[in-house]
Amino acid sequence: MFSFLRRKPNTFFYPGEEIRSLRTPGATASHSKASQKAVQAGAAHKSLETGRARLIVTGGLFVLAYAAVAIRLIDVMVLKAEDRPIAERIAATTEVKPRRADIVDRNGVVLATNLPTVNLYVDSTKVIDPAEGADKLVSALPHLNRHDVLTKLSSGKRFVYLDRNLTPKEQAAVNAEGVPGVFFENSERRAYLQGPLLSHVLGATDPENNGIGGLELSFDQRLKQNPDPLRLSIDARVQFAVRSTLMKAVETFQAIGAMGLVLDVRTGEIISMVSLPDFDPESFGNSDPNTRFNRATLGVYEMGSTFKVFNTAMALESGQIRATDVYDTTSPLKIARFTINDDHPARYNLNVGEILIKSSNIGSARMAVQMGPTAQRKFLGEIGLLESAKIEVPENGFPLVPPVQNWKEIATMTISYGHGIAVTPVHLAKGLSAMVNGGVLRQPTLLLGNVQDGKRVIREETSATVRKLMRMVVTDGTARKADVPGYEVGGKTGTADKAAAGGYDTKRLLTTFAGAFPISDPKYLVIVSLDEPKPLKSTYGFATSGWNAAPTAGALIAEIGPILGVQPTSVDDLPKGGAGAQSVSLTSRVAAAVASVVPASYNKPRPPAPPRPTGETNAPR
Amino acid sequence: MGFRSTRLRKGEMTFSEKLWHISWTLILLVALVASVGFLMLFSAAEGNLSPWADKQMIRFGIGVVILLCLAMIDIRHFMRYAYAFYTVALVLLVAVEVKGTIGMGAQRWVDLGLFQLQPSELMKIALVLTLARYFHGADVDTVRRVSFLIPPALLIAMPVVLVLKQPDLGTAMMLMMGGVVLFLVAGVPLWMFFTVGGIGLGVVPIVWEMLRDYQKNRVLTFLDPDRDPLGSGYHITQSKIALGSGGVFGKGYMLGTQSHLDFLPEHQTDFIFTMLGEEFGMVGGVTLLGLYVLILAYGFYISARCRHHFGRLVAIGVTTTFFLYVFINIAMVMGLLPVVGIPLPLISYGGTAMMTLMIGFGVLMSVHVHRDVQISRSGGFDD
Repeated sequence: MFSFLRRKPNTFFYPGEEIRSLRTPGATASHSKASQKAVQAGAAHKSLETGRARLIVTGGLFVLAYAAVAIRLIDVMVLKAEDRPIAERIAATTEVKPRRADIVDRNGVVLATNLPTVNLYVDSTKVIDPAEGADKLVSALPHLNRHDVLTKLSSGKRFVYLDRNLTPKEQAAVNAEGVPGVFFENSERRAYLQGPLLSHVLGATDPENNGIGGLELSFDQRLKQNPDPLRLSIDARVQFAVRSTLMKAVETFQAIGAMGLVLDVRTGEIISMVSLPDFDPESFGNSDPNTRFNRATLGVYEMGSTFKVFNTAMALESGQIRATDVYDTTSPLKIARFTINDDHPARYNLNVGEILIKSSNIGSARMAVQMGPTAQRKFLGEIGLLESAKIEVPENGFPLVPPVQNWKEIATMTISYGHGIAVTPVHLAKGLSAMVNGGVLRQPTLLLGNVQDGKRVIREETSATVRKLMRMVVTDGTARKADVPGYEVGGKTGTADKAAAGGYDTKRLLTTFAGAFPISDPKYLVIVSLDEPKPLKSTYGFATSGWNAAPTAGALIAEIGPILGVQPTSVDDLPKGGAGAQSVSLTSRVAAAVASVVPASYNKPRPPAPPRPTGETNAPR
Repeated sequence: MGFRSTRLRKGEMTFSEKLWHISWTLILLVALVASVGFLMLFSAAEGNLSPWADKQMIRFGIGVVILLCLAMIDIRHFMRYAYAFYTVALVLLVAVEVKGTIGMGAQRWVDLGLFQLQPSELMKIALVLTLARYFHGADVDTVRRVSFLIPPALLIAMPVVLVLKQPDLGTAMMLMMGGVVLFLVAGVPLWMFFTVGGIGLGVVPIVWEMLRDYQKNRVLTFLDPDRDPLGSGYHITQSKIALGSGGVFGKGYMLGTQSHLDFLPEHQTDFIFTMLGEEFGMVGGVTLLGLYVLILAYGFYISARCRHHFGRLVAIGVTTTFFLYVFINIAMVMGLLPVVGIPLPLISYGGTAMMTLMIGFGVLMSVHVHRDVQISRSGGFDD
């Protein structure tokens, strides 16, 4: 019953073995069966075992060959091996790699796009005769250096660029020469269809189409990932007008550079931004490094008298000073070892409005001192002049401001008329647009539709008063040459001595005009700066802002007003009209102008400010 | 002990017994691979049965019938007529040489009035049968004799030379490698392979020096098609592009751009694997390779399971031929081997290869059905 446990007789046979044993004579004799088998085992077994072993060897070879095929399959289909020909890599990647997105202006005009182009490269392992190849290539592309080409053709490398961005004509010429081992690679070249028009806004790309400056750099990932065009707030038509006007001004006034900004004060959108000299983005690599400097966003400058607008607004906003308050402006203001002076000292004491209109440093300084350093720093901080302007281009200049411990009375005085503080023109535009648009500070932007919520920094009445005064700067003050009939320009000039080693260089000036139009309901802010304009005979030897920046701004506004669709108006509600107006003193006209825009309640004295706690720790929370 | 019964050894099996012994699993696997072929041909014709898929289905149907008929035939008949088949195939090969039809730039066909015949395909089976018969019963000592090995070497060399003259390098390669594998399994000492291989390698540089420059260039271009991407390298470049664009999961059935837009030439015949790779990706390609591996494993199993030397050699010969089809074709479309015009078995469009394969499987199945038959040295049953 335990038979299944007993070892069974060996019934295993190698295939074919039993046949042989049967053939052996006498195999049936049971007594000799075992010995016969032993004899058999020699030759027959050996043959059979060889056969089996060979079967396994063959199978092993098949498995190896199959493994090679399978590995190659995975290599070809999935791993993108680097040494595969370019064409294969392109075919494998074309569908997932979107081309770099276009950049267009606010009206859809293409500013930057891609052109298909071919690059020429050599797989030097496939070059048969480097010397002959080099000769042929140089004859097809004469701008190549034969020695360089020969080195590349015999380098032993599998991929070396010989030339980039071949024209179809050049490609045909190279093809006609038929040099083995030389191949074309399809590529894309960034094309800036407007040439240098927007050089500093757009920036540039490197030969691999990666952004290396301007919006091309800051939106590099966006342009690579999203094929939709990047739409800017810039208006190419306005940009063209601004650039050509500035170029004319640079030539006329023999300036070393210029800057122009047009900003929509209602939205913060930058309509135009020009910095001269500029460069052609398509040949960025060969451009003069001086031309790459973005004066509008990166350059920080002492803005001079244009800051008086901030000073005036701050004074009026505080409620402690009224537009009709009068300050002593007849004698230079001496403080410590400094003397603050006016170019044309007034023969009478000016009121706050007249101080702005006649651009009195003395009066501005006295107003600022009355407000105090803390209030000034707080106000300038609120309108964003003490931090980066955070515009979208990567080239953002940081303002140069006195440290808090040095921001004392003297600093307060100089800052009131725009010295001792340096900001970028974008900062100035940001702050000024809040002064004129009714008092709402908005982040300036280069992108269309990127309008952010504003922050109220001054009351509407203050803004209205400042606008009236800015208009009178143009009608009666230093910026008369900026006026354009029908466009109601209001603004402020500024002339700053450029900083030189150890002080100021009074011969090298930065002249600025900052204004808005139409000032009664401002739509656009315009800033024009000229770097080192020269005094000319036609300007009677003057090089101050009123003689160059202001007329440039006027010419500019006359040109862009119609493009921007600003309706000209014959109405000018300033109380001056007629010859009789001239007989009325400026002082009384300021009073009348201010009275026309602000309700009587505005200038009522406020209750005195509550006393501040002296110790922080005891302050009620 | 049924498998050792005298009745089985004598091959006295009834018809239904033979049917019972047929490996239906193998037939199912073959049908499965052929169905993949129908799918691909349907796709190659932009979603039409004609002109390829329908004809291929009919051929496969006929092929299955032939397979079953051959499986019923006693294996000893194959052995008896092996030399006769070989002689007929060789004569036809000579006939092609003398009076053949030129197609696709090579002389491969002989017109028999009713249909065209490609004798080199017949030779693939005939050579396997002939060599198997020659080596049947040869023991270890016999196969060590060089004089014993000269006749089979000539048996291989004659058709190889004739096929090379057509010129059809792929088929010549298959005949040669199939013969070498049979030599190996027959037990020819390994040192002989190494000696012959070594001599072959030694001769290469001498021949190379004798070649003229333009001949050298042609050989180099043949070995590395990238040298001539618009000429002979065009197929392979396009094929690699298509495969690479397939990726892991492919572009989807009937959505392969490279093949459907005719960038890929011959996508219904030799380059059909590329199309499959493009549409079903690496996953599809590896799955198909897996199916082929299963069929090959069956071939090996049948060979190992067979009790007579002839059957074992025939089985391994047929399996090797099938393996070479798959390997050469896939290695070719992936640029591992030069383009030699070998179709993908059971999938590529074409009647001759299909018939060769189905005849091969039929013989293989006959070996399986008659695995226990006893065959003497002379080919009969002697008790």
